[in-house]
Formats: sequence, structure tokens, C-alpha cells
Amino acid sequence: MSITRRHVLAGSAAGAASLAIGLVRPAIAASEPIRIGFLPALTGPSSSTGIAINRGTILAVEEINAAGGVNGRLLELITRDTQSDPTKAVNAATELTRRQHVHVVWGPLNSGEALAATPLIARDGVPQLDPCWVDTLTDVKKYPLAFRNAPTNHQIGGAANRYVLGVLKVKKVAVIGDTTGYGTASVETYVPMLSAAGATVVYHGETDASNPDLKPELLRMREAGAEAIMPWSVNAGFLSRIINTRGQMGWDVPIVGQTTLGSGQTKALLEKPEYWDKVYQNNFRSCSYDASGALPARTAAFVDRLQAAKIEMGDTLLWWIALGYDAPKLIAETVKAVGSAPDQIGRHWNSLKAWPGVYGDITWTPEQHNGYPDDEIVFCQASSSHGGAFKVAPGYGA
Amino acid sequence: MLESIVSYGLAIGGVYALIGITYNVMFTASRVFSFTAGMLGMLGGVFGALFINRLGLPAGVGFIATLAAGAAIGVVTEAVTVRPVLKNLEQHLYVLSTLAFALLVQQFTAIEWSTEPQPFPRLLNIGESMVDQQFWLPVLACATTIVGLELLYRYTLVGRAFLAIAEDSYAARALGLPEQNLRIASYALAGVIGTLAGFAGGEMLLAFFANAPMLNFYGFVPVALGGMGSNRGAVIGGLALGLFQQAANFLVGGIFASVAVFTVFIIVLLARPEGLAGAAVTRRV
Repeated sequence: MSITRRHVLAGSAAGAASLAIGLVRPAIAASEPIRIGFLPALTGPSSSTGIAINRGTILAVEEINAAGGVNGRLLELITRDTQSDPTKAVNAATELTRRQHVHVVWGPLNSGEALAATPLIARDGVPQLDPCWVDTLTDVKKYPLAFRNAPTNHQIGGAANRYVLGVLKVKKVAVIGDTTGYGTASVETYVPMLSAAGATVVYHGETDASNPDLKPELLRMREAGAEAIMPWSVNAGFLSRIINTRGQMGWDVPIVGQTTLGSGQTKALLEKPEYWDKVYQNNFRSCSYDASGALPARTAAFVDRLQAAKIEMGDTLLWWIALGYDAPKLIAETVKAVGSAPDQIGRHWNSLKAWPGVYGDITWTPEQHNGYPDDEIVFCQASSSHGGAFKVAPGYGA
Repeated sequence: MLESIVSYGLAIGGVYALIGITYNVMFTASRVFSFTAGMLGMLGGVFGALFINRLGLPAGVGFIATLAAGAAIGVVTEAVTVRPVLKNLEQHLYVLSTLAFALLVQQFTAIEWSTEPQPFPRLLNIGESMVDQQFWLPVLACATTIVGLELLYRYTLVGRAFLAIAEDSYAARALGLPEQNLRIASYALAGVIGTLAGFAGGEMLLAFFANAPMLNFYGFVPVALGGMGSNRGAVIGGLALGLFQQAANFLVGGIFASVAVFTVFIIVLLARPEGLAGAAVTRRV
């Protein structure tokens, strides 16, 4: 083939164009905002968690941007309300990864939504942070860029079992759940764990959360010799009925279980305030008052920042806000260290060691993407709520 | 145990019976099986908690306001979900229209009220345990309703007119009875009875949007057991259901109690498809 002047000109133009694009692209990448796709449920039946986490996330983003961003790049929080609906979470996740081209996805924040959206986020190769407890949400082979900055259900159950067996020194336990997926899965998971740890599960079963009379179940537990009740449900009505029935029966066994045991909704449904005594719900040491009534120093400083920013804490849980605050901080520090390419973020997180969040120190390895430490999970006194935090249950020491 | 089965079983049975009567009152006026009865029961609890707990109205005023709101929703139900489908009754479009309306109201309640159960006010500060008001209030409400309906149907002109359109709406219309107005009045009455059920059982069931499907379901059982249109059958069926359900809770417990209830329900219907108090339907051949 003969080389004409036209070929030379065309080739030169193409070369110049490709050179120009090649030179410009790093410049754009260096100045473009760091896009965080955020998937909270801000409305709908599971929105209480999302609303609180949203407060912490917005505060962190504002703080980082007010300080000049990350290497001159501002954080851009692209929020999509999942409306507590897995279908909407899936659509929003796809929009964030494919149309908005976010650098990281933060969420979804509810397990049902995360179960639906995580495979799609993984398919698009976008790094994902999620705080949901369902164990199967992390899998280093199926979802190599999905990392959990919260405990798993197994960790929560393990902590509950350690408190009941190790601290309360109780051996005969009753485990009850509601008939939702969470309730039945919890009972099925925790009963074998309790047995393996040396407890005798004298009663276990599931009951419809709308059943207004739980006295038969509690009588069965008492007749079986239960020394502690472990309820697993997020339904405040169901949990309050267990607490009220125990009070009416004059039965003085401790109740040890899910976070909602200490919620304001549960409190509002109690027949007598004293029924809340000896009720212990899972919480986190980082966001709990110690025996002297003090928060850890890192958390106390965080609470000062929340108060300065006039962020409401009394109507929610402090650990939810802290969890929301930690995510943008971690993303910003990661981008500062290694940039915003997905593989760079993945490699950095795979070697993260005791990253100091307010909610907890996060450690990930290439084999383990569940980063929350076991010893941070504690149980608290439900009746000790103050400013969204609780006092640790008796037995943990100072 | 027996005390608990009787007190609690009669109380929850009373609520089921009232929901069953709500179904019947709507059915007899329109030949439409309106699946809004459970929704009305749910609203009885929510309105009671709203008027008394949140707005701070006295219990008596809150009670009357709840029943008035129930009547208004009954009228809306008739206009929106029943009247448009009456011409095509054989297509059973009312199943869709009434269920859709019930779902709409339920979701609206979840958004505007709460997705969490809310406390229902304690109406009278007297007695606990066996004679606690949460146990006798539903039974009293049920007894008052059935006596009131009997008096209405037997001794008042309006009541007889209700019976006339229930028996043969064409003949009643030919005699000059205002069929549409009577149907609207029936739905208003059903609204009052449905919200009364939720109000009387509020302490047991709490003010919770998700009570609607549960009451729809369990409230249907006494109607099927007692025979469609039979209020006495609904009362007997409702109380029997409550007692049996509570006995099953004690004897087999948990989710198996529901299985036991519906096993018996199916057996009864197989034995007497027309219901325990219903008359066998004759068919011209």
C-alpha cells in the first residue's frame, strides 16, 4: 500500500488526538470529585437506621469538604433513597454504578436491600462498603470489592452467648424469634452456637410477631427451667409483649437480645417502666457509657462535634450516627492514600489494619472482609438510654 | 392456664366477632364481600391512640370521634369501591376494589402514623388480670353491638328497611325504599362497628398498621363458620375461634397454633359448607 499525504495527515491527526486525550485524562481524574453513591432507606418501614446513618454521613462529607477535600478533590455524595424496598435499592445501585459512575457505593444499609443489590454492584466492579449483618453479604470470591464495616449476625450471636454464659453465668436458655426471615434465621443460627458453647437450650421457637398474647410461650419457657430469655426480632411490639408478660408473671429472669429491646418504641409500649429492668440489648463498646458513665475519648470528641453541628441524637442511636460518619472518612483517607481506581481501593482495603473509626477499629484482609472486632460488641442496660447511648450491662467491668 | 384461655380467648374472640359482623353488615346491604373490615379494625386502634394519646382528647370524646371517623370511612368505602362495581357483581370486581382500598389506607397509615406499633391509651384505671379492661371491653362491645343490631333490625323502620334490601333489593326498590341511601347507611354502620372492634381491642392489639391484614383474615373465619349474613353465627364463631386459638397457643404453641386453627376451620367447612348457623342454599333445577 502506498503512503499518501492524506494518510500521513489522517494518521498525524489521530495521533495528536489520542495524545491529547491521554494527557488530559489524568488531569480530569486529579480534579474530578470523588463520587460516593449512598443508598440509605430514608423512608418506609426500615428507615430509622438509614435516617440516623445519613446524619453521620452528611456531617463527615461536610467536614471533609470544608477542609478542602482530598488532594483538592471534593467528595460528592450522590444519595438515592431506597424507600426500604429491595427493588428500588437494586435500581438505584445500577443507576449509581452505570450512569453516575460512582467511585464507591456506601450501602444499602438494610440486609434485605443489600442482599438484592450487592451482586449487581459487584458485577459492575465498584468497591462497596456495607454495614448489614447478614453473613452472606461478604464473600471474597463472589464479591471481591464488598467490605463490611459492621459485625455479622454470627458475631452478634456470639457476643450474646458470651454475655449470657460467661457474664450472667446462666446455663439454661430460652431462644425465641418472630416468624420473619430475620427472626427464624437468628433462632436457627444461635441455638446451635449456644449448644456448642455449653448452654442448654430449654426452649426455642418462632411466633408470629402480631400474636398479642405471648403468655403461653413464656409459661412454657418457665416450666422448662429457663434462666434467661433471648429474643431475636426487630419488632418493638413483639419485644415489648415479652417484657410486659415477664413483668406480669413476676418472673425475674434477664432478657438478652436484639438492639430494638432498648429502643424508644419498645419503651413506649411497656406497661410499667420497671419492666425494663434486667433487659439487655446488644450495643457497641465504642458507643456505650462505661460503669462510671463516661464515653470512650474518641466517641466523646465525636459527640462534641455532633452537638456543635446541632445534630439530634436523643431520638436515635449514637452508633448508627457514628457508623454513618466513619464511612466517608474511610473512603476519603483511602483515596488520599491510593487514588480512586477500584482496584487500588480494593488492594488498600484488603490490607487495612485497625483503621480507627468512631464506631470501631476496622481490619480487613484478602481472606476476610468482615472487619468489625468481636470484643467491641457488648450488651447494655436497656433502661439506661441517654443521648442515643447506653450504659454497659453489669459484668463487663470498668 | 384455664383463666388465661377464657379471659384472653373471649376478648380476642370478641374482636374477631365484631370484625365478622362488620363483614356481614356490608354484605347484607350490597351482596358485596368487602375486604375493608380488617382495615376498619386497624383504624379503630390508630384513631383511638391518635385522638386520646396524641391529641389529648378525653377518652369519651376520643371514642366518639373514632366511631365518627369510622362511619365516614365506611361511606367513602361504599362510594369508591362498591358502588362502581355493583352493576357487574358477577365479575367479582369488588374483591380487587375493596382490597386495593384497604391496602391504600393501610400504607397511608404506615406513612402518616407509624410503621411501629404505638401504645393504646388505658381508658379506665380499674382492675387488672382476670377482670382487666383489655379483656372485658371487647366482650362488652361485642354484646352491646349484637343486642343493638337485634333491636335495630326488629323494632325500627330503618332496620326493617335494611332487612328488606338484604332480602331482595329489586323488590325493596320497587316498594320505594331508597336502596342507595340505605346501602350508604349500612356501610357507615359497618365503619362504626369495625372501628369499635379496634378501639375495644386496642390495648391488646396496639395501634399498629399491620393489624389490618391479620384482622381481615381472622375476622373472616367467624363469618365462614357462622354463615354469611348471620350476625349471631359470627358472634358464636368469633368467640369459639378466640377460645380455640388461645387453647392451641397453650397446648401446641407458636406457629403451630395457627395451623391448628385453620385445620379445624377447614374441617368444619368440609362438614358444613354453609357455616354452622347458615341455612343450606337451595338451587332450582
